[in-house]
Amino acid sequence: MIDIDADNLKHGVLGLVIALVEIIRDALRIQAFKRMEGGSLREEEVERLGEALMDLDTAIEQIKEEQGVTQSVQSVREGLDNVVDEVLNTMINPERQREKANEKQVVEV
Amino acid sequence: MLDDNKQEVLVANQIKAESKGEGRYLYCVADSGERADLGKIGLDGKEVYTIPFVDLCVVVHNCAAEPYRSDDNEVVKRWIMDHERVVEAAWEKFGTVLPLGFDTIVKGEEDISPDENIRKWLEGDHANLKERIDKIRGKAEYGVQIFWDPKLIGDEIAKRNEEIKNLNQDIKTKPKGIAYMLKQKLENLLKKEMEKKADLCFKDFYARIKKCVEKVRVEKTKKIDEKTQMLMNLSCLVDKEKSKELGEELEKIDKREGFAVRFTGPWPPYSFVAFG
Repeated sequence: MIDIDADNLKHGVLGLVIALVEIIRDALRIQAFKRMEGGSLREEEVERLGEALMDLDTAIEQIKEEQGVTQSVQSVREGLDNVVDEVLNTMINPERQREKANEKQVVEV
Repeated sequence: MLDDNKQEVLVANQIKAESKGEGRYLYCVADSGERADLGKIGLDGKEVYTIPFVDLCVVVHNCAAEPYRSDDNEVVKRWIMDHERVVEAAWEKFGTVLPLGFDTIVKGEEDISPDENIRKWLEGDHANLKERIDKIRGKAEYGVQIFWDPKLIGDEIAKRNEEIKNLNQDIKTKPKGIAYMLKQKLENLLKKEMEKKADLCFKDFYARIKKCVEKVRVEKTKKIDEKTQMLMNLSCLVDKEKSKELGEELEKIDKREGFAVRFTGPWPPYSFVAFG
């Protein structure tokens, strides 16, 4: 039997959604930043972009606070970060991966 | 009469089953051919002793031929601590040991006792085990972890970097939307500068530590908190005579503003023996 606690479910789903919104926000921010650095934006455009992103930040923080999901958002993001770290690490350091596999071998007596 | 016979068969079967189901829990291989008792210091207070073969021995306790399992994390933690304590006791007593991983158990077979199995292993692997023991004789493992305070280091960099100084000035004077974007720029820049600095420090510290030790293993860094960041996490195999030198070198690093060093050991050389 799967025991679903309604409160728990809300935290989990909301945490996941907000984490995704944050990631999209980060992507937008990077894009906005690139355009600004590329010089394709006028000063008032930069100002508008900056303000919009700032409002988004405030809104996200507010929702997290009101719903009490700051912790669960953070753990979703950390979980994702760890997955990515692991994958990158395997790609960048194949030797370390092999070492790990060797370590796992148990002594055969 | 018949009943008696039955009884006997039952008892005989039980004895056979018991000797078949018997195992030895292994802690480490030690540099001594001594048959010794180490007392009731094993997992759950088990009696620990050695099974010798020529000039080597294995430190063990008697157990059932099945792995130690528990759903209770506290119990597992206690077992692991017990395991490490026994390895340390053996290390103090015999000088050099090859630690085995937690839950290494040797069992008997149909007509071979676990002890015979262990002796067979020591005999077959004797040259190899000896060679490994020779490599770590007179050496111990030390843990070296170096931390820095990212806030302090960041401020230090910000004070010296012209570009960051200019950005900080702009952020104060521009309208808030632009200031927000510039803040991003500042954060990115500072992050890059800090990574550069971390890289330089790592190389510098690594080279200085390398001089005092036999072998270094770079371990994964762990997250601590906002105020302390682990810059490097090393396991070092150190000649006992050189540990002071290493300590002095680390003290120099520890004294630097914003840096801290944790130096632990000596431990039995867990990270430098290939098994477990």
